[in-house]
Amino acid sequence: MSQKSSPNRLLLIIAVLAVTLVALGVRLYAVDKLPIDYDEDDYLRAGQLYATGLQNGDWSVFTRENYRTEHPPLTKLVNGLIMAGLPPAPEIPNRPTSADPARQLPQPHLDKVRTVHSIFGTLEVLVLSLINPLAGLILAVHTWTIKYTSQVMLEALPALTSLLVVVFYLKSKGKFNLWLLLSAIMLGLTAAAKYPYVMVGVAVLIHWLWESWPGREIRPGQSDASAVQWLRPIILWGFLALIVFFLADPYLWPDPINRLRDSLGYHGRYATTATEVAQANRPIWEPLVLLAQSVPWNSDVFPAPLDTFTLLFAIFGLKRLWQKHRVFALWLIIVFVFLLFWPTKWAQYILMLTAPLALSAVEGWRAVVWEPFSRWVQRIRSVGVKRPTCPQIKNAWRETRQAFPWLVPGLIALGLIALFPLIYQLAMSLTDLTSSSLRDGMRGGVWRAVGEGLTGQAKPVTVIVDPFARRTSNEVHYAGPQLLLNLLTGGVADLVVFEVVWTVSAVFLQTALGVGVALMLQRAGVRFKGLWRTLFIVPWAIPEFVGAIVWFNIFEPTNGWISLWLHKPFPWQQNPTTSLVVLLIAALWMGWPLMMLASLAGLKMIPPDVYDAAAVDGAKGWMRFRAVTWPLLLPVLAPVLIIRAILTFNQFYLFYAMRANYPTLTLSTAAFYFFDATSEYGGQFAVAAAINIFTVILLLGFVIWFSRRKQTQAAEVY
Amino acid sequence: MRKLKWWQQLWYQLGFVLIALFVIVPIWGMAQMAFDASVRGWPTEFRLIPREFTLDVFRAVWERPAQTLSFLGTLQNSLFVAGGAALIAVSFGASLAYAFARLRFPGQQIGLFALLLGALLPPVALMTPLYILLSAVGLRTTLVGIMIVYAAISMPLCVWNMRAAFQAVPKEIEEAAFIDGATAWQTFWRVTLRLAMPSIGVAALIAFLIGYSEFAIGWLFVDKPGNVTLAMAISNLQRQIGTASWSHLAAAAIMMSLPVVIVFVVLQKYLLRGSLFGAVDE
Repeated sequence: MSQKSSPNRLLLIIAVLAVTLVALGVRLYAVDKLPIDYDEDDYLRAGQLYATGLQNGDWSVFTRENYRTEHPPLTKLVNGLIMAGLPPAPEIPNRPTSADPARQLPQPHLDKVRTVHSIFGTLEVLVLSLINPLAGLILAVHTWTIKYTSQVMLEALPALTSLLVVVFYLKSKGKFNLWLLLSAIMLGLTAAAKYPYVMVGVAVLIHWLWESWPGREIRPGQSDASAVQWLRPIILWGFLALIVFFLADPYLWPDPINRLRDSLGYHGRYATTATEVAQANRPIWEPLVLLAQSVPWNSDVFPAPLDTFTLLFAIFGLKRLWQKHRVFALWLIIVFVFLLFWPTKWAQYILMLTAPLALSAVEGWRAVVWEPFSRWVQRIRSVGVKRPTCPQIKNAWRETRQAFPWLVPGLIALGLIALFPLIYQLAMSLTDLTSSSLRDGMRGGVWRAVGEGLTGQAKPVTVIVDPFARRTSNEVHYAGPQLLLNLLTGGVADLVVFEVVWTVSAVFLQTALGVGVALMLQRAGVRFKGLWRTLFIVPWAIPEFVGAIVWFNIFEPTNGWISLWLHKPFPWQQNPTTSLVVLLIAALWMGWPLMMLASLAGLKMIPPDVYDAAAVDGAKGWMRFRAVTWPLLLPVLAPVLIIRAILTFNQFYLFYAMRANYPTLTLSTAAFYFFDATSEYGGQFAVAAAINIFTVILLLGFVIWFSRRKQTQAAEVY
Repeated sequence: MRKLKWWQQLWYQLGFVLIALFVIVPIWGMAQMAFDASVRGWPTEFRLIPREFTLDVFRAVWERPAQTLSFLGTLQNSLFVAGGAALIAVSFGASLAYAFARLRFPGQQIGLFALLLGALLPPVALMTPLYILLSAVGLRTTLVGIMIVYAAISMPLCVWNMRAAFQAVPKEIEEAAFIDGATAWQTFWRVTLRLAMPSIGVAALIAFLIGYSEFAIGWLFVDKPGNVTLAMAISNLQRQIGTASWSHLAAAAIMMSLPVVIVFVVLQKYLLRGSLFGAVDE
């Protein structure tokens, strides 16, 4: 930074200030506009208890009270200090955790406390924008982050302090100095504000061990003293954090061990016994679902609901974040894995990772959009656009004339049965076509509505996606791209995330088993190869939906094999995670034989002397597979993998026959249920069409990404 | 590679047995029911082998899998629809595939891309547009209508496969035919097509199988019992489970799959090549 010239520095300061102002403005607006949410009364009451104690001169309240003991008291203490300066309000009632949001909370207490929280949130943005102003901007408008730092929740303070843990740690460069001291203090405060946020400390610990690992240089025979020497800074860091935590948590002072045990033990019990957790019945991939959509409620509060794109860019940027800011990448990954396995899936938990997520999104933005774009601009500037010359046009004309007779029959057929449907679906998705307006739609109403809309003669109507809404209109109306836009901005995030989880894991499992068995079958000297191979291809030969019936017979909830065997029902459809497992087993069974056959064909093409060369180099087992077999196999498998991924993405019969429940449905299954007039949600043709178009957009993105990746990889190899 | 020691051989065979169990057990779980006379409606106990062995279930399904049609009747519909769909897809797709494989013309890349778009479209997406299109020409509720729908579903894949098949034909042979004075059409008809025939057959078979096992779209189009295909009849049995017997469903599913399985086992090598999308040229 110090080498930068002063105009640049000035620009940076201006950017940081601007981002901070944006963050503050957005958060203050949300403080004003957001309705009272779950738990706000709890944390306000906790603060009120402290405030009343303070006002009465009763200092022991700090060691006596910690309302909602499952969470440490630091944020509640802050609330108390704010409220102590305000006139006393009627006591906020003590209600169970599962209670609905309070109808009314004392003012101005609520607004004042919210405002202070939103200032913590703004400070977090300020710190992040000092690292990267764009990341700060992304965090400033991230809707979940705005929401939970502008309400009386526990998130604002630990989100800020956990970011500071990392920033101070980076400043210290891993040496024991003032910065590391500050980092430890922040970690202690983080723990005293909300326990799960200390995962950031785990990330720092791993990063520190990784960076300073002496094993690489030091030979064996070193004394133990050196290990202590090596670990001293981080041990001191952890110890200090522990002391700060204890000091910042006065509730622990009278009886530290028991009260800490009670407080921590609550989480385990809550996650396994609380009815609201069981009722919510969230899948383990729920954090992804939340990140893939903006806050679905109070949409007027958030100026830029772009969380979906933040997640998308963050995924693409993770690799570069790993190379550039490894500790942030570790933070992101560790917290994400933690959230996957943490049984309580409340939305506010994702604030644990939104700061590194924003940084990753910046890297993704650079890698996917900015750099390709600037390269393209440079190329255009240096070369200019090529214009076709006259002979080239003539040549093209001649070629077209030659190819024409070959193309005509196929193009007509393809146009009618593939392109026409695509265009028609696009048109349908711009209308409000339902079963009641089908007659009009079939007589050209769809084209008429779209035509009126696009020429500005008709104003778009709002489509109500509700199976029980009365649909009486016999006419098709123009609705604009609202359905598509809704889908593109995370409107069905739960389905899309399931699709991705489903496709990736199904294709991975099928490929793993297929390649594994192919390697076994290909080993010289193994007996009965032909017999086994013939047996293994049977599931490939069975039509997909018969295969689905086969597995339905096994897994049927009350009369299937499994439930008869266990003598109790097996209601797998009611839990998304179990559904995924059951469906994956069936998909693995159906899909792996083709992968096995393709791998066998590919393995045959690998010349044996490659292995001899690898053996000379000492490659064995997994190493040999990773370095020799897999790179040679992949080009053969790539087209099969693409097609398999597409078919898996669009899998329908399996989900239909197995009677999978929302949200464990593929998009095309959902589109079918929206389409099929006999189903509960059926007859909403416009919705089905929008989902189909959305599917094509997603798959198109995937295919383009995959072919680019293959190109860059090929460029790396050759 | 070294020869296997006996215990290595044993490990390999054990591994294969485990995988074979994963493959076979689900099928057996269903198949044993089809031979069990004691299953009425739902199965009520866990069984590995039938309690009362019988072939009556198969006989009953043979006579009447759907409301009015016999098994042979539905099979006939299936063969007609799926065979016709394969024929349409192959014959309309062949020239297109050849153009993409051999000729050069502007917009070729875009064309291939559009083809891919067709393959990306979920089958459900074809339903409304084709519903309207077929209603307009009065074919919607006929078997020919379903045939066209199935052809639409399988055509992009079919063209993709045949393109690979044509590319696999050595260019030198075509050039030799040209030198001998054959026209472009004659070269295609007499030389390239004949040489690519086995792979085209595979493409047709794959298209056939798509039509043979489709039911969901079929149910949206068909409105008379006489036009029900085998796959549709079986899906209906599954939908009505509770009133229809599971053993009937099992028997029908076996009777539907058996011919396909035999075809696959016999033709596995050729079918594989068709499913690799031109990645392997043996």
